[in-house]
This record gives sequence, structure tokens and C-alpha cells, in this order.
Amino acid sequence: MAFFFANIIFILTLILFGSYLILGLFSAMALRKYLRKNSYINYNSLVLSPISPRVSIIAPAFNESKNIIDNIRTLLSLYYNNFEVIIVNDGSTDDTFAKIKEGFNLVRVNYFFDYRIPCERIKGVYKSKDPSFNRLTVIDKNNGGKADSLNAGINISRSSLIVTIDADSVIEADSLLKLVKPFLEEKDHRVIGTGGVIRIVNSCDIEKGFIRKIHLPEKIIPRLQVLEYTRAFLLGRMAWSHLDGLMLISGAMGMFDRETVIQAGGYSIKTVGEDMELVLRMRRYMAEHKKKYEVTYIPDPLCWTEVPSDLRSMKQQRNRWTRGLIESLWTHRKIFFNRKYKRLGMLGYPYWFFFEWMSPLIAFGGFVYTAYLIITGHLNWSFFLLLFVFVYTFAVLLSTWSVLFEEITFHKYERKRDVLRLLSAALVEPFFYPAHTWFAVTGNIQALFRIKAWGAVKRKGFDKDKMKPVKETASSKKITPS
Amino acid sequence: MKLKYFFISILFWLQLMMVGTIPILSVLKAGLPQDTIITDTILSENDIDAQTSPDTVILSQESSNREQQNPWLWKVNYFGKSFKLVNALIITIVISTVSMVILLIIILLNRTRMEREQKLRQYLLEKYQSLIVEYLYGDTVSDEFLKIASDRFRRQVLIDQIIDVSINLKGDSEQKLNDLYKQLGLQNDSIRKATSRKWHHKVKGFRELAFMNIRDANNEMYKALNSLNEILRMEAQIALVRLSGENPFMFLNQLKRPFSLWEQISLYELLIQHNLSAPSFNQWLDSPNPTVIMFALRMIREFKQNDAEEDVCKVLSHPEIRVKHLAIEVAGDLNMKSSLEIMKRMYKNEEYNNCVEILRSMAKMPDPSMLGFLKLVLDKEDDVQLQIEATRAIENMGEVGVAALVKLMKSEYKNYNIIIRHVLDRRIN
Repeated sequence: MAFFFANIIFILTLILFGSYLILGLFSAMALRKYLRKNSYINYNSLVLSPISPRVSIIAPAFNESKNIIDNIRTLLSLYYNNFEVIIVNDGSTDDTFAKIKEGFNLVRVNYFFDYRIPCERIKGVYKSKDPSFNRLTVIDKNNGGKADSLNAGINISRSSLIVTIDADSVIEADSLLKLVKPFLEEKDHRVIGTGGVIRIVNSCDIEKGFIRKIHLPEKIIPRLQVLEYTRAFLLGRMAWSHLDGLMLISGAMGMFDRETVIQAGGYSIKTVGEDMELVLRMRRYMAEHKKKYEVTYIPDPLCWTEVPSDLRSMKQQRNRWTRGLIESLWTHRKIFFNRKYKRLGMLGYPYWFFFEWMSPLIAFGGFVYTAYLIITGHLNWSFFLLLFVFVYTFAVLLSTWSVLFEEITFHKYERKRDVLRLLSAALVEPFFYPAHTWFAVTGNIQALFRIKAWGAVKRKGFDKDKMKPVKETASSKKITPS
Repeated sequence: MKLKYFFISILFWLQLMMVGTIPILSVLKAGLPQDTIITDTILSENDIDAQTSPDTVILSQESSNREQQNPWLWKVNYFGKSFKLVNALIITIVISTVSMVILLIIILLNRTRMEREQKLRQYLLEKYQSLIVEYLYGDTVSDEFLKIASDRFRRQVLIDQIIDVSINLKGDSEQKLNDLYKQLGLQNDSIRKATSRKWHHKVKGFRELAFMNIRDANNEMYKALNSLNEILRMEAQIALVRLSGENPFMFLNQLKRPFSLWEQISLYELLIQHNLSAPSFNQWLDSPNPTVIMFALRMIREFKQNDAEEDVCKVLSHPEIRVKHLAIEVAGDLNMKSSLEIMKRMYKNEEYNNCVEILRSMAKMPDPSMLGFLKLVLDKEDDVQLQIEATRAIENMGEVGVAALVKLMKSEYKNYNIIIRHVLDRRIN
């Protein structure tokens, strides 16, 4: 037992650090290539081109009354020629649907609904009487959750490409142009999905659904998540895409090949991690049908989302992520070290299994063991401190790398002060690791006992008449993992 | 800039080596003589006891001897751990800390460099703009051009500015700017880039030469046509369309690699933007490269080349599903009625998406002679999409179609009402 805790945890930590460095290297290579390529791309040729493929944006909405009108207007004004917006009202209990209906002058149409993917009963499909909103379609359906709403939207979509988003996200105006490009570049491999970087909107100035000024979050918890997101998106996913092992396209925004989504069976309503589960299922479907495919990733910031600003909400969010991860890994356990799935089976899945799922559990074991040694007076404090400083400096270094990546790529934080504050946050971040570990452990317990707690998250929301996010409003919202 | 990447890569590899060494050391220490190690990283009760044992005394002595032998290692208390492991940890900590400080400096310097470059660029753009305007309204080339364009960065800004200005100019003014570019010897910069070994320099060079209509590097462009790098390939295609004179699309005959939709869109935009004359695209409908056929089909549609009807109908029997699908779509869009009978015959053996497209095309070119076939589809098919498209095709036939639908609504065999109501609702796209 002592051998396990003392040596295995140590070696696992080192392998984890090593893998971060290797991922960082691949990410740097992929980023460099992408940025070079991108500097010659003229996205304007896509904006008005009659040849560009049709895209359906599907946005589920549940009790989004506060911002729904602005959010839909933002979606309708994205830069792209050939797209439609499908809003799915997932049985909201507030006046979300009434507001949309009034705001866009909607009338019910005689829609013959094709349930190619099963979903909850559709109460009605609505279109606007105003021709300027003819891109908009609104589905009113019984409550079934985010995955179910997305399935309803996929059923009604007639485009070859679909974009799934969270209705409360703030979308970059050129995000469709960026997302669609990998699909246009496909050669002998079919591109089945593309994801991009999700950024944190807390403390940014928002006006009419668009970001006017980018600021670093004022509160420490969202600020730490800026570091976490930067590491995950710019270091992790960029590298996994390069290694053909990408398993997750964020639910906040991603583009998919509609036909492949339907063939794979659409979003699963049995998991709280439907975004990861869908990517895994699509990949499995393509591999099992011996079709050449690709899941791509672009490092451009596409969408801004609000993250929890207190530990309680964060705990709920992380619990869901952990449960989603466990459910997805369990459902697709066949992939684990299965050569049939190539790099996904031999590299991507094992990495998520060992380092995303098991690693917090082992770390928790380490914490308990250390506590035991302290209580019994057996801890070698000098060596413990040496190890602590080693882990701490390495963790801060990784965050500094990710800030550097952000700086040499998109440097969204214009003020030098913001960058310095972000770097200072990196010094504090490792002290929050025990909290993250605890959230993951409770998520595991909930997954083990199949506790289906949806919980409620405190969202501040954005006041459409003001530049800054409003302070007090807390809307109860069904949580969906981002 | 390059120095920055050099430092970053050095730091990275140092870090990787250190982290890579530690697990090896921690495993290897098990093989070291017993008197030099204690196996656990965090000591158990037995280990604590062992610290007071004679072995530990030997350990301290051994460590101390090693310290003395190796002046590079710091004199530290090894806490009863493996000599090498502890040193590796300490060195990693030092490297991590130094790396952090260096990265911080790089981040801040990068910020400052970017801000400085941005300011300089802004200054140069304004300066060049006023000089270009002066030149366009006068005739003399100001010496200031050369004075300011003293290094590569400044010359690049000048090239970019000349191109930006000439986008909005036509005729004499455009020619004058072209002359200025040559007089200042800027074409040498562009040719140097076009012949560079680095692809991103080549792309820049191709773009500039195409814009300034200089053909000195056409051979480089032909070589790049089948490059593995898609951006380079695309820029070569675009440049050649602009520089090849009478046969701008001849490169399509040489294209062996797939011609991606992105490349097709970029080329189409070039044709529109520069008002270039479109050739008869049916000459590429028998290309061995299916993506070239698809491009030709799209161009036939966009430039409404209806005289290609016969050739488009031939493509309907192409072995590739996606080519066939596009041919069906184009035939419908251009109202090529001779394709109707072929499509009717094809329907039975086609895959689902092509069947949907056939019905859509039939809806685009309504013909009462197809009524029987469409009623049969409506009757036999259970798929909602196929039924909707068939109904739409019938409805588009006008009076004949409406009469047929009214009859179908009364049918007791199948409930068509819901489908017909869907199709008749004009608000549904």
C-alpha cells in the first residue's frame, strides 16, 4: 500500500507532466501551422459565395427569457451567406417562448415532422411573418433536456452541416466562416466535426449580444478558469486534433456533418456529457464502417460563455463533467486499447481514462494518504516540501506556457495589466487543485450511485440595455455540460 | 522573433528531458546498492525507523562523498532519498522557475514588440498612402519612397499598401501603380519570395506577382500546382488564372490532387471579383479528376452555361455518387429537361440522398409527364423527405398537379393530408 501511494502516484504525476509537455509540443506545431495558413486565408470569399454549403444553427433554450431576443438577433446577424437558425424551446417554464413569439412575429406552420432521431413530442414549428426573419425557425417542444432539443433541431434541419450551440453563449460574428472551412477543405477524409476555442465572458462588456470590450474576469474563480480553458483548448485539444485523438467538441459550439450525426443516432439523452458521447459515437460509427474521417479543431476563439463564479456552482458543473466523462467512457469502453480505432483507441481514449478520469481519484488517494501520514507523524516533511515545490513550479510553468500560446496567437486581452493578472492567477491556481479533486470525487460517487441531480447554477446573465453583465440576477437553469 | 522560438524550444526540451529523467531515476534507484537509497518517496513507518539504522548513516556518507565528487550539484540535505532523484527534482524545479521567468520576459517583450510594430506599420501606411496619392496625381517618384523603404519590413508594408490601393483602381491609375512597383524594384522582393523554399514566403510572392501581373515566376507556380500543401496549391492556381492570359484554366488539366470546395470557392470569387471571362466549363466534364468535374458543374450553374446540357446529362451516369448528386442538382437548377427521363430511370437504383435530389430537381422543372412516376413514389415510399419532395414536385406542375393532390387528399389508402399541408405552407423553406 505504501509502495502504491508513494511510488505509483509519483510516477503517474511525472508521466502526466511529461504528457503535458508532449501535448504542448504538438500543440505548438499545430498552432504554428494553422496561424501561418490562416494568415493567407480570405474568409470574405465565403461570406457571399453561392457555392458555400448550407448550415443550420441549432440552439436549445430553456428558461432563457432574459437574453433570448438579443441572442437570436446575434445569431441571425452572423457573417455567412447560406444559413438558418433553429431555436428549440425545451418546454421553458418562464416566458421564453412568448417573448420569441412576440419579438419575431411568429406563426405556427403546418410542418410535417420527420422523427429520424427520437425526441420528445413537438408541440409546434413556428416561422416569422416578417420576411427579414425568414432564416429563423422555432420549435416548441416538451421538456427533454439539451440533448433531446438538439435532436429535435437536427430532425428539422435540412442542411448538410449543423452547428450546435448554447443559446446563452456569445458567438463571434465570423465563427461560422471559421468553423465551415475544415469541411470545405476535406479531401479523401470526411470531416465529421469541428470545434473551436471557447472563451470566458465574465466581466466582459456586452452590448446587444456582441462583445464590445474584453476584460479578464474580476473574480478569482472565473479568472482561474480562464487559465484552465486556455490550457485545455490551446494546449490540449489542439494537440489531440493534431494526433487524431480528439474526443470532445465543446457543447457550447461545434459544427457537425448532419448525415453522420443521424447515422450515428444523434445525441444521447442518457448521459449528462452528450457532447463528448456524440463525438465518441460518431468516431466509432465511422471506424466500424471503415470510412475515412477526421475530427478537426481550430484554435480561433469562436464563442464566449459564462462560467461559474462561486465554488458551489463550480462544484455542480465539475460533478456533471465528471459524470459525463464516466458515462461516455463506460458506454464506449470497447475503444479502450482497441487497435481497430487507431489513435483514438490506443492514445486518446487511454489518455482520458488514466489522466482525466483516474488521475483525480489517485490524487485524492494521495491527499488521504498524506493526511494519514501527517496525523500519525510519519510524514517526511522535507521531502514532502520538495515534491510540493516540484509539482507547484511545474503547474505554474504549464499555465505560463498556455498564456504564452494565447499571447502569440490571438492575444485577446489587450491590456498588459490583464496578462500580468492572468500570470499572477497562475501562481494561485495550484492551491485550488484539492477543490477540483474533491469535485471530481463527488462526481464519481454520483456516477456510481447514478444520482441524476441536475442542480441549479447561478447565472448572472447580460442586461441588454447595459454594457456590463448585471450583478444580482440569478436564474434557475437546467444545467447542460459545456 | 526567431531567437524567441529558439529560447522557447530550448526551454521545452530541457524541461522534457528533466521530467523524462525523473521516472527513470525513480525506477532505477531500485537497482542501486541498498546503502544509497530508500525506496519510498514519502516515508512509511518502517522507513522512518530505517533512517536511524546504520544504513542511513552510510547513505549520508555516500551522499556526502558524491557531493564532494560532483561540484555541479548543490549541497543539499537529501532527506534520506535517492541521491540522483532528489537532484533531478531540484534541477527540474530550478529549470521550471527559470523557464517561467524567461517566458514571462518573452511574453512582455512580445507585447512590446507587437505594439511597436503596430505603431510603425500605422505610421508607414499613412506615409505611403500620402506618397502614393502624390505620385498618382503627379508624375515623379518621390525619393522618400526609397528612403523610407530601407529594409524588408518597410518594403513589405509598401508592397501591401500598393496592392491595397490598386484594388480600388482601374485603368491608367492601376497601371501607374504597377509602374511604381517596378520602378522601385519591388518585384525583386516578390520574385525572391516566390522562389523561396519556405511555403509561406512562396504564397506571399505568388499573391503579389499575380496582383502586379508579373510572369517571371510562372514556372514556380506550375511546380506548386500539385504540391501537398493546399494553401500553396491554391495560391498557385489563383495566380495562374490571373497570369495565364488566354487559357487561365489550363491548370485544371494538370490537376491530379483533389480540388477542394474551398479552392473552388476562392477561384470562383476571383472570377467574379476581377470580372475575368469564364471559359466553357463543359470541356472539363470528362476530367479524370472527379473534383474538377464538380467544379466544372458548379461553374456551369453559376455562369448559366445551358449549352452544356448534353454533357451534364452524360455526367448523370458518373460512377461517383457525389458527382452524380451534383449533376442532378445542376440539371434541375438550369432546367435541363432532357435529364428528366434519365433521372426517372436512375431513381430505382440510386442511394437515398440522390433519390431526394432527383425529386427536388423534378420539382424545379415541373413536367406533367412525370406525374405518374411521382404519384408512384408518393404511394410506395415511406420516407417523409421523399414523400415531401414528390408532393412538392407534383404541386409545382400547376393546375394538373393541384388537381392530382386534391384527389390524393381524399384517398383512403394513405393519409396524404399532412404532407400536402406541409408542402402548401409557403412559409416553410
